[in-house]
Amino acid sequence: MTPDRKLPWDWYPGTIPENVSIDETAWVETSFSFLFYRSLAATGVRVGRGSSTYIGTMFDVGREGKVTVGDYTLVNGARIICDAEIEIGDYGLISWNVVLMDSYRLSSDAATRRRELEAVARRSPRILEGDSSPRPIHIGRNVWIGFDSCVLPGVTIGEGSIIGARSVVFEDVPPFTVVAGNPARVIKKLDPEVIKDDRP
Amino acid sequence: MSLDAIKRPPNVQIGSNTVITGDHAFRRFRSRVDPALTIGADCTMDGVHFAIEGNGRVTIGDFCYFTNAVLLCELELQIGNYVVIGWNATIADSDFHPLAPAERIIDAIACSPLASGRARPPIASKPVIIEDDVWIGPNATILKGVRIGSGAFIEAGALVTRNVPAGARVFGNPAQISDAAGPR
Repeated sequence: MTPDRKLPWDWYPGTIPENVSIDETAWVETSFSFLFYRSLAATGVRVGRGSSTYIGTMFDVGREGKVTVGDYTLVNGARIICDAEIEIGDYGLISWNVVLMDSYRLSSDAATRRRELEAVARRSPRILEGDSSPRPIHIGRNVWIGFDSCVLPGVTIGEGSIIGARSVVFEDVPPFTVVAGNPARVIKKLDPEVIKDDRP
Repeated sequence: MSLDAIKRPPNVQIGSNTVITGDHAFRRFRSRVDPALTIGADCTMDGVHFAIEGNGRVTIGDFCYFTNAVLLCELELQIGNYVVIGWNATIADSDFHPLAPAERIIDAIACSPLASGRARPPIASKPVIIEDDVWIGPNATILKGVRIGSGAFIEAGALVTRNVPAGARVFGNPAQISDAAGPR
């Protein structure tokens, strides 16, 4: 990153917001990922050592949202919809078109939602904000999430687990477990083998 | 959202204070009907694909908010007021190809660059109707002939092949109505 917070390789003429912390060894493909970013948190997004976020990734982070991407984690193309907290652990593999959402952004009550949508139409830009009651998402270390999957508000995914492609995860996933389907169900358990943490 | 609003075809009517953004909005817009697309007032159409075929017609009410929705229309999509559609959700009113194998061969040939104007066989299409106050989550899919009743809540990633009653919450593939046994 240059001193004026541009990415030298970027195709998009944007900058990395001030309250985003990207480790000097991490790779963020484009500042376009921050088009919908509006967090006012001290650190709205943190990307850890040796991690990478590719072009389809969007940090759609609301005013109070905080996103943490751990170390050695690959985010290929996730829509990260965050109004509270989304944490992705170390050694994560997040595939393309994945949705991680800790918030529905609007009220579940239709009458309230009408008022919220009327307020949105008066805003510029048209930021979607309402009574969302967000619930944080925690994704443990060494979790692999397959393409087109959705992880819904309040879900915790345990260490070492795999979410099969196109799954929709409504409930917590225990550690070292493979889940798949819509709604996601447990397929099998994985060997919780401990490997040496041999980081460069 | 900071992208500039884009040019729209003449047979598109939009109400006051409606914003359409994204450079691919009309890339697959081929409808010759007038109007082919009618959008009410105070809507936000951010990155929406209006893939409307030759005879297709889409109507959208007021105060709708769609994010990167894909609207595939051969015949008719009717969308009410205060409808929210999440990122990458798809709505299609057609099968786009025949089901019978022999018919599909005829269709594959007609779609080929060698077809030189050969007609395609008939394809099943049926209007999709989405009533007022419906919420459709990201990555959801709504297929042909479905009517979604007012205030229904379509969970993220749901694949909806049947009508949804007003006020229901559905999830899953195929979509089922949420009850005590379902998620939340």
